[in-house]
Amino acid sequence: MKAKLFSREASLIFAIIMMVIIFSAIEPIYLSGGNLLDIFDQTVINGLLAIGITYAIITGGIDLSIGSIFAVVIVITGDLLVRGMNPVLAITIGMALGFVLGVVNGLLITKLKLQPFIATLGTMSAYRGIAYIYTGGWPVLDIPDNFRSMLAGDVVKDVPVSVIILIAFTIVSHIVLKYTKLGTYIFAIGGNEEATKLSGVNVDRTKILTYALCGVGAALAGMILLARLGSGEPATGQGYELNAIAAAAIGGASLAGGKGNMIATLLGAILLSALKVGLVVVGVDSFWQYIATGAIIVVAAYSEVIQDKFKKLRLVKNKNNNKNTNYPKSVGM
Amino acid sequence: MKDQVEKIIKFHNVSKVFPGVKALNSVRFDIEKGEIHALLGENGAGKSTLLNILHGVYTEYDGEVHLNNQAVKFKNANDAIHHGISKVHQEVSLIPELTVGQNIVLGYEPKKGMLIDNKLIHEQANEILSKLRCNFKSEDKAGSLSTGEMQMVAIAKALYHKAEVISFDEPTASLSKSETDSLFEIINELKQNGITILYVSHRLEEIFEICDRATVLRDGTFIESFYVKDVSKEQLIRKMVGRDVSSFAVRNKKGMIGEETVLEVKGLTINNVYEDISFHLKKGEILGFFGLVGSKRTDVIRTIFGAEKKTNGAILLNGKEVDIKSSEQAVKLGLGLVPENRKTQGFLKFFNNADNIALTKLEKFTKFGLVSHKKKTENCETYINEINLRPANPHYLTHELSGGNQQKVVISKWLSSDASILFLDEPTKGVDVGAKAEIYRVMEGLLEKGKSIIIVSSELPEVLGMSDRIIVMREGHKVIELKNNGLKEEDVLQYAMGVTKNESQVI
Repeated sequence: MKAKLFSREASLIFAIIMMVIIFSAIEPIYLSGGNLLDIFDQTVINGLLAIGITYAIITGGIDLSIGSIFAVVIVITGDLLVRGMNPVLAITIGMALGFVLGVVNGLLITKLKLQPFIATLGTMSAYRGIAYIYTGGWPVLDIPDNFRSMLAGDVVKDVPVSVIILIAFTIVSHIVLKYTKLGTYIFAIGGNEEATKLSGVNVDRTKILTYALCGVGAALAGMILLARLGSGEPATGQGYELNAIAAAAIGGASLAGGKGNMIATLLGAILLSALKVGLVVVGVDSFWQYIATGAIIVVAAYSEVIQDKFKKLRLVKNKNNNKNTNYPKSVGM
Repeated sequence: MKDQVEKIIKFHNVSKVFPGVKALNSVRFDIEKGEIHALLGENGAGKSTLLNILHGVYTEYDGEVHLNNQAVKFKNANDAIHHGISKVHQEVSLIPELTVGQNIVLGYEPKKGMLIDNKLIHEQANEILSKLRCNFKSEDKAGSLSTGEMQMVAIAKALYHKAEVISFDEPTASLSKSETDSLFEIINELKQNGITILYVSHRLEEIFEICDRATVLRDGTFIESFYVKDVSKEQLIRKMVGRDVSSFAVRNKKGMIGEETVLEVKGLTINNVYEDISFHLKKGEILGFFGLVGSKRTDVIRTIFGAEKKTNGAILLNGKEVDIKSSEQAVKLGLGLVPENRKTQGFLKFFNNADNIALTKLEKFTKFGLVSHKKKTENCETYINEINLRPANPHYLTHELSGGNQQKVVISKWLSSDASILFLDEPTKGVDVGAKAEIYRVMEGLLEKGKSIIIVSSELPEVLGMSDRIIVMREGHKVIELKNNGLKEEDVLQYAMGVTKNESQVI
């Protein structure tokens, strides 16, 4: 059970609890309902983007275009809603749009063999352009209330729909990674693409699906923001990809591929928002918040390095005194 | 000097304990100055650990290492190099964008004032290279060199640091015959110049060819040092494994060849790589592909497996023409490939044995879209027994196993997918003698189940011992197809080298 105690999830939960204790000791308001809701609100957007990008990161790739997909989905679904489309249909179209834009990323990466960084740097700009052109640079205003209450309302009192969506997306993604062929292939590609291909895996299809899922995460996030604000701007979501990467990295996803965990990514996103909100609540100057965020990322990355070292030691120890001690499972799985 | 034997290195009760594992146990032996000393043992016997101690990679160990009768304790690999102990790695890693000279002096560039003295670099490097009779220059880019040439650069680097002792770890693993020969010449010359050589290789023929003495390690313990000329190959193997193992590939059962032709290849071609390769494979047959480096045999089987694109030719499976466009398709058609490079192509570093073995046919373990980890583990357990995997644990990372056991996992991937035609590319490269024999038994077991095998190997005894027929390739052409009825090594080799056609031009 020792292994569990040192797991990424456990240490993240510990870090979050510590943070809550410290902030609420300084400023008891931190623990108030309204404030916690604030943390969750912030987590939802970044969490969905981060879960999506974790798929890409595990394959050894990256998706820089999620902030732009986010914007495209916001303005197009927003416009459809304003024109009176049924909200359920609009949501479906929004998700399909995210999926398709992700597929385009996947095609660029697999068929044109572009590096994921470059391919999605290109689409980051191009998709942003689409969002601007679609609205002519204007915001989409007056989103109908039926849509807004559907995504920004509460399921029951004080339980926002958006939080449920985030949790559901996380759980589904966790199951996909751990218990489906697709998930196994995603890990396999991140570990060694050549060996995976030679094992008879359709690497291209897997990668395309990966980026499609990434797009779906961005689409969900976009529509939730649209519902919350009641309006959408083509300029929205710039730089969001970096927050998402930060959450995934704090969650232990390796940019070299082959490692990652959806639950830990979600915890990473919670940690980031808890920190940001906390700093505001205790009255830290907003410029210092950047430094604090940066420090958290570096500390999290370094703890991963240390953890790896311990793992290696444990492995060697186990080599001899054998049987069912805590062998590492396939990493990340 | 020559009469009185001087000991250059003494290992004095050297022990190395990794947490929980005793990798070396009071190892004690000497290496004489100016000899070529082989270090022998199965994988995991402690050779690498000992070398790593000698080269300053491991700094914590018990016992003492003496260099020229003085106890030394190197702080790191650089420190060892300064003391005249250099290493030529199994796979030489040079920086391709730098010149040969820059690679040789890397980290120790001669300076003129604040700047690097490039002229002096090339002067010094070229002097060493000409001593090694290299036909490339210090000014050439390292990336343009062949594997054999890169090895020469590594030797040049050792000489640049005035090495007294150079260790070679499997130096011939990826060299052609002619490259191997010239390497041996150089090694002998180094010896003439008083340099001591430590030599590690799985190829026993080489030990007999160039080594003076040998030391055998087994399970971290020193077994024996002896003069190579005093022992036979069989004796040597017995010392290494501590039991009688026929290291030689021998077929226990022959005549399992069925009637049906399972694979037929007609005029297979990739432009500028290989041309017009035709052959067939029967059910229950082992077909050997032999050729020297550059013969493109690997490319041929990779093409059939869908990993490379053919320009021309036809592939027929069970008499039906198939157009294999991807490895995915090949696997679905019942083909399996154990690739040449196990670590980069064979298995996944982050995956445990169960996951690696299951990867080729995940459908088997999937129900309603969900993969059962329990079923994967059970699947792995059946193969653990069948192939004698050590340690026998499905949850162990394949990456952490010895070379031989890693290869057993890679082969199990295709047992698990129930491939009917298996391509084995250098299946026993870097595999110890015991595991080799086990791999050969697995191959025979497959034939009994009606599977067919194509084996590609640069180890002639292996091809000769295992194959029913042999196809010899040279420079992208099929030279000849030989029935393996008491074929001799020389017979096959002469075709592979093209001696029969043009006596003078041996590649």
